[in-house]
Amino acid sequence: MIAIRSRSAGAVPALRRFSRSTAMTLLCVVVIGYLALGVASSGSFFEGPSVRTFLQYLATPILIGLAQMVVLCVGQLNLAVGALGGFTACLMGVLMADAGVPAALAVPAGVLSATLIGLLTGVFIVATQINGFIVTLGTMTILLGAQYRLTGTRTVDGYSSTLRDLGRAAPLNLPLVFLVALVTAVLLAAFLYRATAGRRLLAAGGNPLAARLSGISTDRQTVLAHTLSGLLIGLAALTATASLPGVNRSVGGDWLLPSFAAPIIGGVALTGGSVAVLGTVLAAFVMRLIDAARAEFSLDPSWVNFLIGLVMLGTVVGGRLHQGHLERAGKNRRTPTAPTGGGTAPAADSLLAGTGGAQ
Amino acid sequence: MRTAAVAPDAGTEEPQTPPRTSDRLPFWVNQRLGLLVLTIGLALLFGALRPAFFDARLVLFPLLRDISTLTVVALAQMVVLSVGHMNLAVGRMAAFGALFAGFGYDRLGLPLPLGLLLCLAAGAAIGALTGWIIARTGVGSFVVTLAMDFALLGLVSLAYSALTENAAFTSTPAGLDELRAYSLADICVGPVCGSPAIPQIAQFTVLALIALGFLYSCTRIGRELLLTGANPAAAELSGIPTKRRVVTAHALSGLLAALAGFMAAAGTGTFRASIGDDFMLPSFLGAVLGGTLLTGGVVSVVGALLGTSLVAVIRKGLDLLGVGLESLNIYLGCVLLLALSADRVRNVLSYRKVVRST
Repeated sequence: MIAIRSRSAGAVPALRRFSRSTAMTLLCVVVIGYLALGVASSGSFFEGPSVRTFLQYLATPILIGLAQMVVLCVGQLNLAVGALGGFTACLMGVLMADAGVPAALAVPAGVLSATLIGLLTGVFIVATQINGFIVTLGTMTILLGAQYRLTGTRTVDGYSSTLRDLGRAAPLNLPLVFLVALVTAVLLAAFLYRATAGRRLLAAGGNPLAARLSGISTDRQTVLAHTLSGLLIGLAALTATASLPGVNRSVGGDWLLPSFAAPIIGGVALTGGSVAVLGTVLAAFVMRLIDAARAEFSLDPSWVNFLIGLVMLGTVVGGRLHQGHLERAGKNRRTPTAPTGGGTAPAADSLLAGTGGAQ
Repeated sequence: MRTAAVAPDAGTEEPQTPPRTSDRLPFWVNQRLGLLVLTIGLALLFGALRPAFFDARLVLFPLLRDISTLTVVALAQMVVLSVGHMNLAVGRMAAFGALFAGFGYDRLGLPLPLGLLLCLAAGAAIGALTGWIIARTGVGSFVVTLAMDFALLGLVSLAYSALTENAAFTSTPAGLDELRAYSLADICVGPVCGSPAIPQIAQFTVLALIALGFLYSCTRIGRELLLTGANPAAAELSGIPTKRRVVTAHALSGLLAALAGFMAAAGTGTFRASIGDDFMLPSFLGAVLGGTLLTGGVVSVVGALLGTSLVAVIRKGLDLLGVGLESLNIYLGCVLLLALSADRVRNVLSYRKVVRST
């Protein structure tokens, strides 16, 4: 969990801090899990095609996790992640296959419309002051209907072969869509950690009152977060359209739960004010590993959901206990005048401390 | 019947204690009255456009059966909302309860009431476990119930594929078919029979409504639940065992969800893993449209029924008007957003009126 921190820390403390962070634990889990899976499959998991498939279907989970994370960081939720992603994917597919729009035009149009819908959601939340949870529940319903209306029961697959080739392209055995997701994550991290606008976003989520008093418009940050989320979902829809054989109305149907699981396992607090880009990306890796392991041992797909649920519960409960332990240790070491590291602790017990701000 | 523990923030809420504030706020601010008028008005409109809407056996009976089930779902959500929590696993808890009922009927050969009891006990147990995790660790209910949703989604499917051949319990005990198909017309006292439009399964909903209404308005536990939701710190300081109340609320929610799962299974006649798949949206729609606050401390038992009815009437009416299934969701989403915005505008207007007059 990376909250607002001073950047003047030296390299060694930074390394030590990293070694204790959630990201480090997740990295170990990913590496060990990958190695174990490779050994269990007697090496076939390390070969080119397996690695490529593994990474190919990692792009979308990373992007939807990040899309949810951006909204969580201002203390809001976005339930429309799957619906918006599915709608955008279908919009692109229908534009290209039915309307004959070239891919170079249809893709930006799709991403732009997703961004616009995100912007509208944000403006609606700010204008009416209705809880973001309910508003995105409403937009989710509308978008699900819109997606169904676009495609009906058919599968749209006759779209641009250029896009398909790009989706399947893998320079150096790294799929292009995966690289797109990684570059997006890096850009997002730079924005959130280095840019003023990104810091404002975090400040508005961490303490809305303090942010408002220091001249930051929390309303504007809410709109910005939803817009960014829309943009990221548009990109996720792009990667999905490029790597799937066709789009139909079931695209995006199973995105909502993973979009929450990735940031939560990655260490993002639901109360706002904290982001963990690396953690979210690694958590998406972990979930993909579970899925790959399921495929490797040909188990029932239900195991994936069950395990992800357990991992999520374990991470959150473990993190909470660890935090409590740290606080107690800190209290014993010095007099309890200085507040200890757990800045998010008081708010953590009430989920709606962040979203309640929109009521 | 809206029950609030303490006065919520001014401007976002309506009167809580009618005798004192009713002379200050105009009556049209009452959300439940608006809902009732809107529901009846829409039903009349649909009836005028399509006389088939009032067909007791073909339209009203299934409509009321849907409303009965979904009202219980909305109540399951409302109970956790009353302590300021959420239950995203409401559909999965329904499936979990139905799994036990189906198992009881199919393998243990239980009679109808015992299977229902087993179902309710399973739901209450899983709800209590969720509540216990939340209370013990202090992690937000959103995360815990989301994780629970994942876990149960996997667990229930695994159990069905391990226990059954075609992923469903199909053997039904005596009385289940009657519960599905019978309406009040089948119950006669002498020569007087009930309406064929009202399904027998609605008895569970009526019971749940009465029980919850009594709990929130007349019992100590109900008030404690509301106070826990309105202000956890104040509740703790005034000697309310808030952690135990959180567990109570989640256990009750699990129980109601399992009841809804049983009703849904009775409605279709099979116990499958897909029961409750589409419960999450209606659960929030019914509760929130009815006036329950997401922030806790305010519930409306009758509102849950009215909110659910409104949504179901719109759905059925649009369906009869020939609006395709694909467009139905678009209209429903718009109605939800419009209803809440209108509510918001009304509240702001009435608040201004009061401020000006004082």
